[in-house]
Parts: sequence; structure tokens; C-alpha cells
Amino acid sequence: MGLDEIIFGASKPCLLESPIRKFAFFPLPDRSLRMAEPQLLRKIQLIAEKAKLGEIAVAFRDFESNEEFSHCGDRWFHAASTFKAALLFALFKAAEGGRVHLDDQLHIRNRFVSIAGGGIFRVERNRDGDSVVHQRIGRSMTLLDLAGVMITRSSNLATNLLLDLLSLDFVRTTLEEAGVAGVEVRRGVEDLAAHDLGINNEATAKGLLRLFRLFLDTEGALSENHRQQALEILFAQEFGSMLPARLPDGVRVAHKTGEISTHCHDAGIVFPTNRRPYVIAIMTGTLPETENRAKAVAEISAAVFHHLQGKRCERESADE
Amino acid sequence: MSEPFAVIDGRTLPAEYRALLRPGDAVSDHQGREQFLPRFFYAVESWEQARETKLTAHFTLSELMSVDCREAPLLLRQFPHYVPCAVSILARYLEEFRARAEAAVMIAVNGGYRSPAHQLSRGSSPHLWAAAANIYRIGGTWLDNARSIERYGRVAESIGQEIFVKPFGNNPGETDDHLHLDLGHLLCVPASMRGNEGSRPAS
Repeated sequence: MGLDEIIFGASKPCLLESPIRKFAFFPLPDRSLRMAEPQLLRKIQLIAEKAKLGEIAVAFRDFESNEEFSHCGDRWFHAASTFKAALLFALFKAAEGGRVHLDDQLHIRNRFVSIAGGGIFRVERNRDGDSVVHQRIGRSMTLLDLAGVMITRSSNLATNLLLDLLSLDFVRTTLEEAGVAGVEVRRGVEDLAAHDLGINNEATAKGLLRLFRLFLDTEGALSENHRQQALEILFAQEFGSMLPARLPDGVRVAHKTGEISTHCHDAGIVFPTNRRPYVIAIMTGTLPETENRAKAVAEISAAVFHHLQGKRCERESADE
Repeated sequence: MSEPFAVIDGRTLPAEYRALLRPGDAVSDHQGREQFLPRFFYAVESWEQARETKLTAHFTLSELMSVDCREAPLLLRQFPHYVPCAVSILARYLEEFRARAEAAVMIAVNGGYRSPAHQLSRGSSPHLWAAAANIYRIGGTWLDNARSIERYGRVAESIGQEIFVKPFGNNPGETDDHLHLDLGHLLCVPASMRGNEGSRPAS
């Protein structure tokens, strides 16, 4: 098996011609954007090269300038924990439809049925990003509290409990009805039997953009009350080493990270202090031993921020 | 328990409650045998009342009637809640179990009484009779492995042969993340309702 297969599974990274051909696994950028944003693209490529990222996809949509950018935005990645934002959206849609009440209690139990063959699996406590939900086993938590810890501390147990309650079909249908192509929710976390069959949650950078746009008031996907509640949960994200890490003080970011051994992602909405927000998704595929991948995502996030701030300065100069 | 609750014949409840509680209705177990659901209930007016009502020295009613959002909305959100009268007998067995285990016994949410309308209710589970308890933790011990489940299962069985404990395992009829004990299909007919219990339910 070749190295690219080890890293990327079935996806086939396209090789790029000079100047970065030496980076054999670097995928080809979208043609239109390569022409439109060469400086930003080059910066992204340099950061990726320096960090030895095997694969990188970046997409953003700026609601100030209406600029859209996509570099390999349609490439599929293992979603890691970014798919939990899709579950958050589905939960709030379920609440709007009267299917659940966010202040309802849910029994905390660490026992799940695999979608692959119906075997039983559990979320390993020492592999979970959070211990609070594990301490509540046998008791209950509100759906809103579970949603909170699913996002802010990336609790796998909370995620599986909510997915179990809502059902995979409901989540998938909700995403489909909301027009979120590019995010595929297929199983709970740590369903190793499904993983062994190649059944994984997957996403593209553009798909995550579509998903996070649903939390903006421009989309009307959620009632204002629920949208604000969902956004507050995303703002409370405790893992801040990527999208927000190198942004100026005062910039708020509503986001969801995703990290597993071979992938490191962050996606969300950035709210600069002086302008309308932009939605951004950065996805990477790396060798397991790759260091500084989170730092690289943070650097790309900062590059996009300064690129868009520069655009604003250019526009302001032109206006004068 | 000092009779703080009104005892209700479930067949006199409004139709929407009867449809969910199915008082006195027949249900079949996994072998096709017919069992009759509880017909007489305590009417619990509030969570405060349930929390303040000690069925025994260490078990409040609230512990044995806590359910989650998988319960039917009417039964979950609206008081009074109706709990089969057998719950007070279950509590006495749990108190005895607690004494023999020599530690606090934690009953799980959904682990006491569940109505037939609860999404986890299937067939003729003794939870529908308020005659079963699911226990996730005893003292500091989590009952999520064969050793602890079998150890405390033996303690429960030592009380008497009327106690049934599900064996450890992950097949139907077994448990692997809690201890299930029950008293079978236990029907309780309070004195005030004597004479009514023989009549068959309307279909």
C-alpha cells in the first residue's frame, strides 16, 4: 500500500505542478480561486508545507465582502468531531419541530448499538475529551447541557446519547432538508465495527461552510431564540488552539474542532469587531506523528483573517 | 409509607391517560404468556411531593419514578403522575438489599417504574409493574462489569427466591452495564380498592 493510501484512504490527492510539486501529496487548488487569490493560496501552501500537512482544504465565505474562497473545498475528509456541529443543528431543529424539549432530561448510559451488525460498544472514558457526562452515568442531564458539553468539550458520550435519541435518519434528513451537502453523518463515535467496515462520518470544507452558515441570521434556518442558544454553545468552545488562536483580542469565534490521529480540523464563524462575520473551514490530513498541525491551522486562520481585513482596508481607501 | 397519596383505579382515569397507562390490560411476554398490567396507582401531585416521600428509610418515591424524555409527554410533563402501588413493596426489598450490600444503592433514571408508553418499554417488563430496579452504582462501585454485577446479584438473590436478577451478558435478558433485579409481575391492590381487582378490563 502506498503512503497516500495510508493517509487518505480511497481519496486520490492530485499532484500539483511547480512550484510545490516536491510536496507530492499536495492537492490541486480550485482553478478559479488559484487565479483570484494567488497570494492567499500561496501563503496557505507555504504553511501547509512547513507543517508537513499531507492534505489541506480551506474554504470561507465572507459576509462583509461576499468573497468566497475554496481550496480543495470539495475534498472529503474523515470529519473527526466537526460533525458534532451537525448534531447540534439537528437537535435545535428537533426542538423547533416539537420532537424534543431542550430542557428535557435524558438518561445517561454508556451502551450503544453499532450500526454495523448490532454489536454493543461503549465510549472509553480515557479516550473522551470530557469526564463530566461519564460521572453522570445512571442519572440524567438536560438535552441542552448535553449539547453544550458535546461542543465545548467535544464529549463523545454526549454525542452518542444525542445521536441515539434523535436517530441517524432524523439527523441525515434534517441536514438534507437544510441543503447541507458535504457533511455525512453515518455513525456514532467509537463505533469501531462500523469504522472497520469503512463507515465513517465525513465532511468537505464547503460542506462545513454550508453547515455553519445555518447558525447565521441571514439563513433563517433556526428561530432567533434557538439560533442564539446554539451560537452561544459554539462560542463557548473550550478548545481554542486553532481558528481563534492567532486572531486579535475581541474577535469572537463560534466553532467546532475535530482531531484524530490522522486529521485535524476546525470550522466555524468568525466575528471580527469591526465588520460582518465570515464562515471558515480548515481541514487537514496528516501523518499520525505530524507535529504542529494545530498551529498550522491557526496560522491559516490568521492568514485568512488578515487577508479579509486587508480587503476591507482596500475598500475603505477606494471609498475615500 | 403513611398513605399520602390518593389511590386511583386506573380504569376511571380520562381516556388519554388510559391509552398510555393501559390499566389492567393484558400484555404478552416474550413467550406469549399473558400478563395483566397494574390497575391501581398512587396519584403523585408534584416532584416535591415525590422527593419528600420516603417509602423507606433510604428510598424516596422520586428515585423509583424518575424517567427521561422517552416517556410519553403527557405522563412526563403533567401532574399528577400515576405510579403503580407495588412501588412501595419494591422499596422495602431495596431497603433490605441496601442493608445487605452495606452501601448506598443508586437507582437509575428510567430504572424504576416506566409506563407502557415509555419508549424503552417492551413486552411485559416488570418495570411496567413498578416491581423492578436498575442499579448503576453501589457505594463507589460502578456495576458495569461481570465481577461487580455478579457480586451484587448474589447479594440480591440472598434476600429470597422471589428476587430475580438478570445475569451478566449483552444478549437479550442479560445486562452488562447495570444490575437489574425484580419481583416479577407484582400486583398490589390496596385495601380501599378490594373487590375491584377481579373484574377484567374493558378492551
